[in-house]
This record gives sequence, C-alpha cells and structure tokens, in this order.
Amino acid sequence: MSVINVQNLTRDYGLGKGIFDVSIQVDKGEVFGFLGPNGAGKTTTIRHLMGFIKPRSGSARIDGMDCWKKRDEIQKKLGYIPGEISFFDDMTGKEFLKFVSDYRNLGKENRMQEMLERFELDLSGKIKKMSKGMKQKLGIVSAFMHDPAIFILDEPTSGLDPLMQNRFIEVIAEEKKKGKTILLSSHMFEEVERTCDRIGIIRSGKLVTVDSVETLRERHMHTYTVRLDSPHLAEDFARDFEGKCNGNFVTVAAKQSLETIFMNYYGGEENA
Amino acid sequence: MLNMTLYKREMKGSLKMLFVFAAILSMYVTIIIRMYDPEMMATLDSFYQAMPELMASVGMNTGATSLISFMISYLYGFILLIFPMAFCILRGNGLIVRYVDRGSMVTLLASPIKRRTVAITQMSALISGILLLTIYTAGLEMMIAETNFPGELAIAELLKLNASLLCLHLFIGGTCFLASCIFSDTKYSIALGAGIPALMYIFQMLANAGEKADVIKYFTFFTLFDANGIVAGESSAVIGTLALLMGAIILYTTGVVVFCKKDLYI
Repeated sequence: MSVINVQNLTRDYGLGKGIFDVSIQVDKGEVFGFLGPNGAGKTTTIRHLMGFIKPRSGSARIDGMDCWKKRDEIQKKLGYIPGEISFFDDMTGKEFLKFVSDYRNLGKENRMQEMLERFELDLSGKIKKMSKGMKQKLGIVSAFMHDPAIFILDEPTSGLDPLMQNRFIEVIAEEKKKGKTILLSSHMFEEVERTCDRIGIIRSGKLVTVDSVETLRERHMHTYTVRLDSPHLAEDFARDFEGKCNGNFVTVAAKQSLETIFMNYYGGEENA
Repeated sequence: MLNMTLYKREMKGSLKMLFVFAAILSMYVTIIIRMYDPEMMATLDSFYQAMPELMASVGMNTGATSLISFMISYLYGFILLIFPMAFCILRGNGLIVRYVDRGSMVTLLASPIKRRTVAITQMSALISGILLLTIYTAGLEMMIAETNFPGELAIAELLKLNASLLCLHLFIGGTCFLASCIFSDTKYSIALGAGIPALMYIFQMLANAGEKADVIKYFTFFTLFDANGIVAGESSAVIGTLALLMGAIILYTTGVVVFCKKDLYI
C-alpha cells in the first residue's frame, strides 16, 4: 500500500488556478520528486497532504489516514519543511527549537544536535535577523529532529548555498536508505534528478507525467561524447563541463531547464 | 485540551502589555478614588450643570454620593471600559490571525496537536489576560479605597460590579477572538475585532448624551453592562450580565469551530 496516496484531488480556485484531478502514489522507502514551476499547484497539493485545506473532491491520505480528519495522528510521524519559512520572529533559533521540541513533547533523545552539526547552524541570533539560508536550515532541523518516517519537503534547498544543498541531498539519500518515504517538491530538475526515484511533473494544476528518473533523463537529457586531442585535455574538458572522462573521450550531458522539458510536453503550443 | 508550551509562550507575550495596562489603570484608579470627597461633589455637580451632555456621554452623572457610585461615574463609564477593551483587541488579534497571516501557524499545525487544542489554548491565554486585569483592578480599588477612606467602600457590591465588568470584557474579547478566527488577514480581523467594540462604545456615548438619541442604547451591547443596576441589585442588570456571559461563550465556541473547519493557506 502507498504511504502517500493522493486520488483525483481537485481544487478549483477559478480562472484556471488550482489543481485538477491530481493523483500521486508514493510507496514506502521511495523518494518522489514533485516538479513544477512556481504557481503550478505543488504547494496546494502539499497543503492538502498537511491537512491545512479540506479536499473538495478526491482524497489525500497518508498511511491510510485521511489527511484532513486525522491530521494530528499523521503529524506524529511526519516531517515538513514549508515552502515559505516563517517562524516566530521574536525568538532566537535556540528558543525556537526548544519551543518546538516542548510543543511536540519530544524527549531529550532527538536528532536536533546531530542536524545542527551537519548543517553548521548557529542558533544564537534572533530569527528576525537570520538570513534566508539560516532560516531554511532551521526549518530542516525542526523537520528532522523528531526522526519522522515520512517527509514532505517543499522546495527544501531554497536559499541554501551549493555546499549545503549537497549536504542536504546526502541526508536525503541516507534517510532513503533507512526506508523513509519522501515527497520532495522542487523547481530544479537537477535536485530531483539526484535524489528521487520517480518524478511527477505538474503544470497549471495538472499532473503532466509521472516517470522514473531514468526515463525522464533518457528522454530529456541529451548526452554527447567528444574526442579530444590528448587525455590531459580530455581531463580538463571533463572538469570544466562536468563530463565523464575516458581516455581521449569525454561524455557530457546537456542540462535542459525545466521550462524546456515542459515545452517538450506541451509541444511548444503554450508559452512558458 | 490545552498545550502548556504554547500557553506559556502566549502568557509571556501578554506580560508586557498587561504591565502597561496595569500601570495605566493604577494611575487612574488611584487618582480618581483619592479625588473622592463628599464636598467635592458639589464642584463636580457644577461641571455637570455647565456641560451635562459631555459629562453624561462618558458616563459621569450627577448625584454620586457614595464612594462606589462615585467610582461608577468616573471609572466604569470610560477608563475601565476602554483600556481592557484595548487589551482584548490587541491580544485577540495576536493570538490566531497573526500566526495565519504571517504563516507561522505552520509551526503550530505541522505538529501532532489538534487544531481545537491550538484554538482553545489561544483562547485561554486571552481569557487569562482579561481575568488578570480585572482581578488586579478590583484588588487595587479595594486597597486604595481602604487606605484612603477606611470602611467607605461597599466590598460586596464592588465585587459584583467587577464580575459584571468581567463578563463585558469577556464578551468584547470573544468578539476579537472570533474575528481573529474568521479572517486570514490581520487587517480585516482588526477592522471587525476593533471596529465593532469601538462603534458600540460610540453608540453608548451617544445614547448617554441625549434623550433624543436614547433609542441607540438598543444597538449597543454596552447597555447590557448596567453598573448602577448591578450595585442596586436590580434583576435586569443581572440578566444583562448573564446575557454578556452567554454571548461570550457563544463567541468563543464559534471562534474555535470556525478555526477548526477553515482552509488555511499557510
């Protein structure tokens, strides 16, 4: 049975806004990438999963429980990073994490310290004064500290520097190994490509495709192998263009932007 | 039913405001009670003769002879209505809608805590604040009155009076709390949560001021708080107070239900 199960979920805000007939299944131990441009309906779908919005038609279930009716039950084993981070500005980072762990009634045995060390987060300042990246790290720590079995991550790496983005991707890979179920939304193809098993692409509220990463990659990432004059040159070329070096040959992949991939799905008839 | 961690945070958040309001009330209550002087009544009555509408509009009437009726005239018509009302408005909006508007409600709901628990906790924090302010006022009044005019103040009547005042403020707090639960935007919540009590108070002032505007008293809930009637033990005043209490219970309950059922775009 799917851990996260969205069935024919529709929420029409009018004027073509909203989500229409979205169905997503994420199995236990799977990382599902939820990809789409801003305003495509990722957050609306996630709000249903979080029990913030009541489904008008269709259903959203986690672990077989209705996301609206059993929100508090579901939240026991769920970790959430919101797309727009807004904490209590009047608190310091330390006070905030103390509040969250008391509020959730967590014991001393939690992953707070481990996550703080991994993301090199300094908790002494007021949240109001924190940079976007620091707030994002704080969001990551508070989503992970109760060691949930299911994660819903809405653009979790936004605001993080590339080093921390990599570290986050490592963490996701580890959680996946532990059998955690993860739904990760993003507008960056590279990010989901590196972490996810399957990817669902949403645009204008409709799920355009759900495919494995391999399939999408084959379909949308063109690779080229070029021969250079010497292995030395090939190595340099591979380094500069992030390719794979094999003697004089280097294989490079052309990274397409998400919009280009959408254009493929829409055959260019709609402007991005 | 109650999340103590959240309750503590909210009470800490009320603390500064409670201190400010307690300080303002202390100043007025002290000054006004010490102004009580049966001989002075003549002077005040002469003010009343000079500008009856203005004095009456803020609830200051002639013929206040006992200490308690003096206090009703000069404290329970304006100062003890307006300042706790301001507390209700400021705090009521901070407890629900501000979290929703800013998005920090996510933190409270992305946790295994029922929405009902969150709403009831926030409601309790508001009620606690109102209660503390009223108890403080009553205690202060008795202390000041006893030190300055020993034996003059009718304690039992004063307690009844403040119980009735408490019901009025619970009702005002309920209005603010409901507005805070209905809206997701602070500005609308303030417009309704502050607008209704303020408008009602203006109606009350108009109704007090002149006989022609007397009919307005049926359009304001302040009429239900009848300070002189409570002290005199009139049953209509007791019914008014009970109506305020019932209204408050309905407002808070509706607020909690609305918050539990609404879609949150957070």
